[in-house]
Amino acid sequence: MAVLIEAIDLYKQYRKGETAVAALAGVTFAVKAGEFISLVGRSGSGKSTLLNIIGGLDSATSGQIKVRGCDLTAMDRESLALHRRNVVGMIFQSFNLIPSRTAVENVELPMVFAGASRAQRRRRAEELLDLMGLALRKHHRPAELSGGEAQRVAIARALANRPAILLADEPTGNLDSRTAVEILDLLLQLNQERRLTILMVTHDEPAAARLSHRMLHMLDGEIVQQQELRRTT
Amino acid sequence: MSLFDLLRFSLENLRRTKLRTLLTTLGVIIGIGALVSMVSFGAGLQRNVTETFAANDLFTTLRVFPVKMKIEEALSGNLAGAMDGMQQKTRALDDSALALIAAMPEVAIVFPENTFPVRVRFLGRETNTTLRCLPAAMGAYKPYDKMGWGAFFTSDSAHEVILSYYTLGQLHLSLDPAEKDSAETRRTHRHIPVDSLIGAEIEVITSVFDLGQALGLSSNGQAPFSERVTRLRIAGIRPKPHAFSSPQTEGGILAPMVTGKKIPRFVFTSMWNMLSRRNQATEGYDVLYVRLKKLSDLGPVRKRLQALNFSVFALADQFDEIRRGFLMIDMALGAVGAIALIVASLGIINTMVMSILERTREIGVMKAVGASGRQIQSIFFFEAGVIGVLGGCLGVALGWLVSRLANWIANIWMARQGGAGAEIDFFYLPIWLIVGALLFSLLVSLLAGWYPAARASRINPVEALRHD
Ligand SMILES: Nc1ncnc2c1ncn2[C@@H]1O[C@H](COP(=O)(O)OP(=O)(O)OP(=O)(O)O)[C@@H](O)[C@H]1O
Ligand SMILES: [Mg+2]
Repeated sequence: MAVLIEAIDLYKQYRKGETAVAALAGVTFAVKAGEFISLVGRSGSGKSTLLNIIGGLDSATSGQIKVRGCDLTAMDRESLALHRRNVVGMIFQSFNLIPSRTAVENVELPMVFAGASRAQRRRRAEELLDLMGLALRKHHRPAELSGGEAQRVAIARALANRPAILLADEPTGNLDSRTAVEILDLLLQLNQERRLTILMVTHDEPAAARLSHRMLHMLDGEIVQQQELRRTT
Repeated sequence: MSLFDLLRFSLENLRRTKLRTLLTTLGVIIGIGALVSMVSFGAGLQRNVTETFAANDLFTTLRVFPVKMKIEEALSGNLAGAMDGMQQKTRALDDSALALIAAMPEVAIVFPENTFPVRVRFLGRETNTTLRCLPAAMGAYKPYDKMGWGAFFTSDSAHEVILSYYTLGQLHLSLDPAEKDSAETRRTHRHIPVDSLIGAEIEVITSVFDLGQALGLSSNGQAPFSERVTRLRIAGIRPKPHAFSSPQTEGGILAPMVTGKKIPRFVFTSMWNMLSRRNQATEGYDVLYVRLKKLSDLGPVRKRLQALNFSVFALADQFDEIRRGFLMIDMALGAVGAIALIVASLGIINTMVMSILERTREIGVMKAVGASGRQIQSIFFFEAGVIGVLGGCLGVALGWLVSRLANWIANIWMARQGGAGAEIDFFYLPIWLIVGALLFSLLVSLLAGWYPAARASRINPVEALRHD
């Protein structure tokens, strides 16, 4: 299968006064299209940093990060915005929905920036919410949703512009274990049925082992172990 | 992102912070309101003066003097220098000159200036005023084509006189119905129906130089002057003057050319005048008034007259001077309004910066789902623009309201002061001012929104998402 993401000797340094913290210290790995990858490791090991760089939210200090062959480190701000808009979808531990907008309006948001017509984006947003099992929650605001529902809205929003990659930063971190399982199953379903490439940061190693094709262990900004898994499905 | 989406986004955002938006917009409304009312006052002032000029045909009026007077030197007190100019006199302003000018095709009418002080007595009341002699033909020209009551002179030698509102006021007479006048006017003035005024006789009293008394031939010890009384019939009364006109232009009384010339008088305006006075018919007049048919003829006719060695003075020149003065007033008034608007724009900047701080996380989310820096910038730019347009529209409305109110109060006040003038509009709100104010408001608010919008566009999404 084709290589979708390729990181070569990726460094990310944060300057804290005199001392420099290396959030990433030479990360090299590749992800093939359709893969489900889990990123695990201790707090502060650089998982979120890596995900943000792949998502085009952050930039690397040195090294290369190629998505579909395009080097993100060489892109200008405008191209990075297009990358975030069309190539990747991101979900977070804290959902990051806009509180003043309803579920359907939140899902429409990426399509607004993509310039879709009102009717078009409303239709797609409703379809996605139906798919997430939120047909009755379309016009609720985030405050009126449970954690699981909010994360489903966030997933629907991440899928709005049909991205090739879903980046999930501890998507179940704020959920109880039963809801967490539901969300993880949803991600698995997306990976299996839609061939969506998923990179997920998690602290739940058993779950990661159950879902993903590969588990990357990070420590102090480095990938210290790549664990091939034999996923049952 | 379509313009419609941008507009919807900014309206939604502004609605979320209603009170703050309202207060910020109120700042713009007051700023634009101040600007509009101030500038429309300046524009009104200018319009009223321009209209007075036009109503009296002053733009097409030339005054022709016999010599190239060195006016600057005369004004600076150098009389010898000014007189030096007079000695270069090459052409008298006599009847042949008058005929020459009258024959010019561009000239509508020309007549010599003949104005002198008189005393008038009517119904036992007396006042000092000036008498101006005009040809009966002037009745066809502004502003004499419109009479308040009665008619213009029937001929140049008719024993007629035309009174003005000011003169009637000086005689403590009022034509208005008593109930329209202030209590003050009612006590001091006598109300008189116009019908009994037209056709009545008025006494014009002039002083003459009595040579016999001057030489001491009669020894009653009186000054060497005696009075002569001329009785003239009141032919008409000039209309109620514009409030901006002065007694100098609208006051006094008018008499026909020939009749006026025959009124015995001793003109004693200055020593120089007394000593240099000669026979006008042969030595020439002091000033000729020339009224042109078209405004565009002013330049050529002036050149031609100057070539004939006359000195020409156009009132239009004076108007240019006045207009420059108005520009200064307009600028001063505009500056006051602009300061109010600058304060309002600081309010916009403050509101927007606050709003960006509050919405940092939201901006991070929008960037994470694919908003470009430019789109974020546009959203905030639009918010500023909406405040500008809203503030501009309501500000123009406020400015208009204030000007109407001020005008109403001013007119009431003037009526209380016993002003004889017709009701006037001090303010003028032309289309260019409305459009200009709206554009200015939009421009100022966009300028104010520029920094906050640029700041919003540069927000780092990773940091913004960590923000709470
Ligand atoms: N903006 C920043 N400025 C300075 N240091 C930072 C910044 N962001 C991250 N770091 C540092 O970089 C390192 C990696 O952070 P990162 O958020 O990627 O860790 P993580 O693996 O996601 O941890 P967690 O599991 O707690 O989310 C940490 O040491 C962190 O302190
Ligand atoms: Mg993290």
